[in-house]
Amino acid sequence: MVSKTEETQLNRLENQVDNGGGGAWEYLCLVRKLKVRRSEKVLKYGLSILNDPKKRSALGPEEWTLYEQVAIAAMDCQCLNVAKDCIKALLKKFPESKRVGRLEGMLLEAKGLWAEAEKVYSSLLEDNPLDQVIHKRKVAMAKAQGNISGAIESLNKYLEIFMADHDAWRELAEIYVSLQMYKQATFCYEELILSQPTVPLYHLAYADVLYTLGGLENLQTSKKYYASTIDLTGGKNTRALLGVCLCTSAIGQVSKGRNKEDKESPELQSLAAKALEKEYRQKADDKLGLLTSALRSLKI
Amino acid sequence: MAEDLVLDTAIRDWVLIPLSVVMVLIGVLRYFVSKLMRSFQVPDLKIVKEGQVIVRARNLRGAANFIPPKSFRSRRVYFSNEENGLLFVPKGQAQNAQAQMFSDPNMAMDMMKKNLSMIIPQTLTFAWVNFFFSGFVAAKIPFPLTQRFRSMLQNGIDLSTVDVSYVSSRSWYFLNLFGLRGLFSLILGEENAMDDTQRMMQMGGFGFDPSKSLSAEKDGLDIVQHDWALPKFEHRAEAVLKKLVS
Repeated sequence: MVSKTEETQLNRLENQVDNGGGGAWEYLCLVRKLKVRRSEKVLKYGLSILNDPKKRSALGPEEWTLYEQVAIAAMDCQCLNVAKDCIKALLKKFPESKRVGRLEGMLLEAKGLWAEAEKVYSSLLEDNPLDQVIHKRKVAMAKAQGNISGAIESLNKYLEIFMADHDAWRELAEIYVSLQMYKQATFCYEELILSQPTVPLYHLAYADVLYTLGGLENLQTSKKYYASTIDLTGGKNTRALLGVCLCTSAIGQVSKGRNKEDKESPELQSLAAKALEKEYRQKADDKLGLLTSALRSLKI
Repeated sequence: MAEDLVLDTAIRDWVLIPLSVVMVLIGVLRYFVSKLMRSFQVPDLKIVKEGQVIVRARNLRGAANFIPPKSFRSRRVYFSNEENGLLFVPKGQAQNAQAQMFSDPNMAMDMMKKNLSMIIPQTLTFAWVNFFFSGFVAAKIPFPLTQRFRSMLQNGIDLSTVDVSYVSSRSWYFLNLFGLRGLFSLILGEENAMDDTQRMMQMGGFGFDPSKSLSAEKDGLDIVQHDWALPKFEHRAEAVLKKLVS
């Protein structure tokens, strides 16, 4: 994850480069370090360095890293010719490299030649069956082809080995949610919460899935996780505030007959509603009416 | 006390300086040779997986209170049940590293390569120094030292009357051998410095056994008391919102 200071630094550098202030190489290094996706800018400034022989040779061995970075950015922008040239230059320098082989596979992928790309990846995996990037590429490829079940299958296989890779768990969770397989998605979100217990977004997503599943127990749990999101974000998350309101009313509906309202936090809903109203009044006064009517309809 | 020995300048030109230069050159050469011989190691599937299992189990132990009790219990069973739990190591299967080393010729080969690049040049240079320069007094340090430094500085000279501040050629060799690390890190870059002492440490700590850390993690997981933290969060959220609304 990119921290706030890093992001401001990145934006400052980008602004500087955009206005012709120089520092393109530093910007590209930072982009690479933070693994952010700014393909258009990377392509533009990376190419301007690569096309200038003096600047390029000043980089020394870093030149080849830049070629790789530009190639990937070019594929992201569908400038396949540029990517091809970069890969060709790399291939000339490192004829046997697996890393360049990976780029070739990605180029085939970008062209939509799935079968060929698959073949390249498989042969690369034969040499090194534990290459995480290639496993992930295969998942991405299955997903791009619309073969969701294939993507799930290979992700699961990947996670069987690299089970501490939380990005993969997140991807799997999102795929499960898109397929409405909420039970499985809850497992993945639990895994994410375990690996990073203080990230509110995971709590929020987990609560969303539990609320969607329904049932008294799930709703109560879901409310708790919305509450933890509120706590972790300091009450700034509108979705969590709304979630608490929805959960409370849903719990009220489900447990109507035996009215044993949870005594733990009777005020939470009214407080959340108040916080929502306050926020709307501050930021979107014209939509306040919508909110109050929606909240009124929730209170049975 | 004996009178000051006068050191011939030819000793400086033909012993002290060549010895130092040769030591540096050998260090550089050794670096390049070991770089050539370094083979790309494909990590073992089992070891990678065990490492990942340990990370995940540690996460579970650390953040156990953030997931509902039911989820925690099912995960704990998954990790530590006695049939096919991920952290459970069957008794007979816990092979020790020594046996594993012998069963895997690649590993032995790697060790040998490492050792060869370390031992061969060392023995050769030592033999060379011994043969040509044994018994020389090569240098004098400009301050007096106590008798205890004799074994360090006058290796190869068996005279107890020579002042301790004189350094014999063999001792100069040893001083160079262990003292040139700073120079190598200058020449070859920070992380490339050949560090003999560190290497020896590595050899000592060789018998790392992953199954031990697996079972340690299992024990840790078994004694975790699950105490769901989320109900507390509702109160905390209330407090946060109260502050926000007021």
